[in-house]
Amino acid sequence: MRTPETPSEGPATRRSLLSRLCGWSMGGALVAAYGSAAAVAGRYLFPARPAGKRWIYVAQVASLQRGHALPWRTPSGERVSIARVGDGQSTDDFIALSSTCPHLGCQVRYESQHARFFCPCHNGVFSPEGKAVSGPPAEAGQDLVRYALRVDGPLLYIGLSERQIASAGQEA
Amino acid sequence: MSTLARWLGERVPLGRFDIKELTNEPVPEHLKRWWWCLGGTPAYLFIVQIATGILLAFYYEPSAARAYESVRFVTEEAAYGWFLRGIHKWGATLMIAAVILHQMRVYFTGGYRRPRELNWMVGMCLLVCTLTIGFTGYSLVYEQLSYWGATVGANIAASVPVVGPWMKTLLLGGEEYGAQTLPRFFMLHAAVLPALMICLLVVHIALIRLHGVTDLRFRGDESKPPKPFLFYPDHFYTELMIGLGLTVLLAALATILPATMGPKADPLSTPEVIKPEWFFYVAFRWLKLFSGTAAVLSIGFVLFVMFVWPFIDAAIRKYTRFAEASVWIGIAGALSIIGLTVWEAAVAH
Amino acid sequence: MSLDFKRIVIATLSLMFLGSLLFVQWMEVSRRRAETGEAGAHIAIPDSSRQCVDCHMQNTMGLVEHWKDSTHAESGVGCVECHQAEKGDADGFEHYGAHIAVIVTPNDCARCHPAEAQEFMASHHAKGGNILASLDNFLAEVVEGSRAPFDPHAPTPGLAPGQGLVGGKVNGMASAISGCQQCHGGKVAFVSTDGGHVDVDDLKPGADGKPTSQEALARIQRDPTGKPLLHPATWPNSGIGRLNLDGSRGSCSACHSRHDFSPRRARQPENCGKCHLGPDHPQKEVYEESKHGVAYRDLIHDMNLDSDEWVLGKDYSAAPTCATCHMSANTRNGMKITHDPGTRISWTNRPPVSLVLDTDVHGEVVKATDPAERAKLIEDTAQAKRNRMRQVCSHCHNDSYVNAFYAQYDEFVVNYNEKFARPGQALMKLLLDKQLLTPAQFDEEIEWSWYYLWHHEGRRARHGASMMAPDYAHWHGMFEVAERFYMAVIPQARELAEHAIANGKEAQGKAVMEFIDELLARPEHRWFEQQKKH
Repeated sequence: MRTPETPSEGPATRRSLLSRLCGWSMGGALVAAYGSAAAVAGRYLFPARPAGKRWIYVAQVASLQRGHALPWRTPSGERVSIARVGDGQSTDDFIALSSTCPHLGCQVRYESQHARFFCPCHNGVFSPEGKAVSGPPAEAGQDLVRYALRVDGPLLYIGLSERQIASAGQEA
Repeated sequence: MSTLARWLGERVPLGRFDIKELTNEPVPEHLKRWWWCLGGTPAYLFIVQIATGILLAFYYEPSAARAYESVRFVTEEAAYGWFLRGIHKWGATLMIAAVILHQMRVYFTGGYRRPRELNWMVGMCLLVCTLTIGFTGYSLVYEQLSYWGATVGANIAASVPVVGPWMKTLLLGGEEYGAQTLPRFFMLHAAVLPALMICLLVVHIALIRLHGVTDLRFRGDESKPPKPFLFYPDHFYTELMIGLGLTVLLAALATILPATMGPKADPLSTPEVIKPEWFFYVAFRWLKLFSGTAAVLSIGFVLFVMFVWPFIDAAIRKYTRFAEASVWIGIAGALSIIGLTVWEAAVAH
Repeated sequence: MSLDFKRIVIATLSLMFLGSLLFVQWMEVSRRRAETGEAGAHIAIPDSSRQCVDCHMQNTMGLVEHWKDSTHAESGVGCVECHQAEKGDADGFEHYGAHIAVIVTPNDCARCHPAEAQEFMASHHAKGGNILASLDNFLAEVVEGSRAPFDPHAPTPGLAPGQGLVGGKVNGMASAISGCQQCHGGKVAFVSTDGGHVDVDDLKPGADGKPTSQEALARIQRDPTGKPLLHPATWPNSGIGRLNLDGSRGSCSACHSRHDFSPRRARQPENCGKCHLGPDHPQKEVYEESKHGVAYRDLIHDMNLDSDEWVLGKDYSAAPTCATCHMSANTRNGMKITHDPGTRISWTNRPPVSLVLDTDVHGEVVKATDPAERAKLIEDTAQAKRNRMRQVCSHCHNDSYVNAFYAQYDEFVVNYNEKFARPGQALMKLLLDKQLLTPAQFDEEIEWSWYYLWHHEGRRARHGASMMAPDYAHWHGMFEVAERFYMAVIPQARELAEHAIANGKEAQGKAVMEFIDELLARPEHRWFEQQKKH
């Protein structure tokens, strides 16, 4: 049992040629297959592109006045409050914050007299920039989600993911 | 080339012949039969699971607030994430199936008998680890079903007498499923259990190597001289073929039946139908048949019997006339496992 | 199993694995494409338009489906964004909680597309409604119909009483409404409380488009829900020079069909062919006969018509369409689209005698003859316009080729102008001055002949030459111009003159005869009667 038999193959010359060919093709195919599997894994580690963000029209720049928030809903129904924070025409003059409290999902509202967003459920308070100031969100360090905005000429656009664009009950 | 080889040879004193010696374990001829190659499949799948698992862990966040979202990110946004998650999910299913098949082969061919009783027990440990790692992995997704599956699992553990509550607390990191639970599951799934399984596998394989594989003789072959063949390349190629075949199957499953996202876990609403992963259907059905502690204890008892089976079998063979009893017991066990699984799969409650 | 056989099996399995990975790669790519909106992008139904979509999906689903295929839908521009009316707008009304208007005017589009609207307003297109006071309109409103409603001769069997009539009378404006105004644009009006019209002239809108005449507002007839009734004589209308209730002119949907506003469609010649075809200005047919049109039809799949941007020389170069040459961006003009198709045209072939298209600040052609005065008035020269067209041509043709083409074209137009148009125009003026014609148009045969000559045949010829369609330049063009001139206009003028001489207007008749004889004695016409005289 401890004397293994050497695998018997054909004459030396034929063997070297044929099985070398087989060996090469096997090696090549193996390297190609597992190599591309490794490439897939490598690509997976670079998700960099924020997938599927699209710019969706919100309003005309001129229709937004400083100090007033425009209540707006994404096509999927999420509430967003969009406000002008500067007098210019650039993207930095606007801010879009989710109206959904990160704590338990209640709807926050803007209180202009206190210049703050307030969540009535557990007295969560956020700054006008969406930063959690007090209440449970502040303890957990959960700010209001901020959306990207873009000014294109006279128009204001909001950056939404495909998920936020797909409306409820809409066919794919 | 030779300079490099010499440099390396000096620092790693391992010659080509040593490697040949190590790899070219002679393998008995019956291993040319496919049925005997099942042990390699769980090992190959285990490697696949480690590779894909590490990749998934790059994005996974084990907290109740972020777990679901991070799995969704992997599935929907990261490049090829859906594919890797699909491979991992199907790899788990195939691995458990392969473990069971391997165990059945060992069982029905009597491969666990003296002097290999200990290796059977190591194998049983591996089986339990595999099932546990499957359970914890499923719970990590934090879907409705996996959340409630984990809750039910923990409550089952709690019904074990004496140590039950303690086990539940250990598992959940508290009285109930909470902020501590997911990190715990994640540690078990991604660190503790894999490390344990690697150790067990080393022992498992070392014992095989030390004993050598049983040289089986089939009817009509008894008179022939043994014709062992080399592990490398012959048997290695066979295993490679099986591995590649499995990989193709996995890739096909992951693309045709991809891993999807169920509804997010909601601790306040229990779903109509709670089902664990398919490999727990047996136990789940059993628990429904014999509620409470009795069912849990009986499952524990069955596991214990399986664990010490080599000794029970030896006793039966020694003290009774039923030398072939193990075959019939095995068939009965397999049939009842299949029956319970199918039953659980077929009905909603 | 021999070792080599195993190696082959392993190689095969590896290739299968590789194949499945390639399939995975393909799935990933198509998934990405779907996500980034390159293929079958999700549309975004804005929350504000959800209700509109739900309801109109039931009763006017085609309209909603068109919108769903639009770029607007992809970018979250829904129903309300375009149809919203402001308080005080004459045509605003409450519609299930939204204050909207039916007609979307260029002012509405300008909210988001100001540059496009401005270019359009400056174009000849926007002035299409001016036809309402022109000769062509006389044809439709008087010659083809009747400005005053008239009594039918007899009831039409099968028609219900009153059907096809207005107040029991025949609507003589019907031809103008369904014909002229559907291309040129009509004057949109409400039904007034007494059944008449309330239009932009009554409403007197201010700069913001809101009406200033409360009296006119009060006269608008409304249905029980408060929706103002649009006069069926004026709506539906998508004519390009429509006179809207808010004082704006034009209709963007004339080219950018509602409700999908498809750039693809606006790029295709069929779009322009709604109006630019037929006996008087067959630009579409001329184009189709040309090498340009032939190439387009053949290479339509290389035209990249679905592309977001459509820059000649960058996104496509297979063939030009109407839009390519007259409107679209190209790599040599700074990739600038214009919504004024007149900015690249150097001749206007619209009038009887073609004019060099030097335009003044208002975009009107400068007709002055004195060079100094012209120089003072001209804002944009024909040469500048031609150079803009050359930028387009140069994507496929070299300078010498383009210059030679323009030489051919200029010479063709000048030949038409000098041989037939100018003499014909002078002859018609002479006949009118000598009172051998009534001031009324189209009541004498020669007026029809002359109209055919310049308005139909002469334009066909010039358009044929301008866009390289030889059959239109010659057989449908100059051949018929010549026949009309020699075989109709000249004999009919002579007949008018002879008739005048015989009826006591000898001086007038002789003046016309002399004019004709002098004209036909010119070298280019001498062939016509040379041999008859001797």
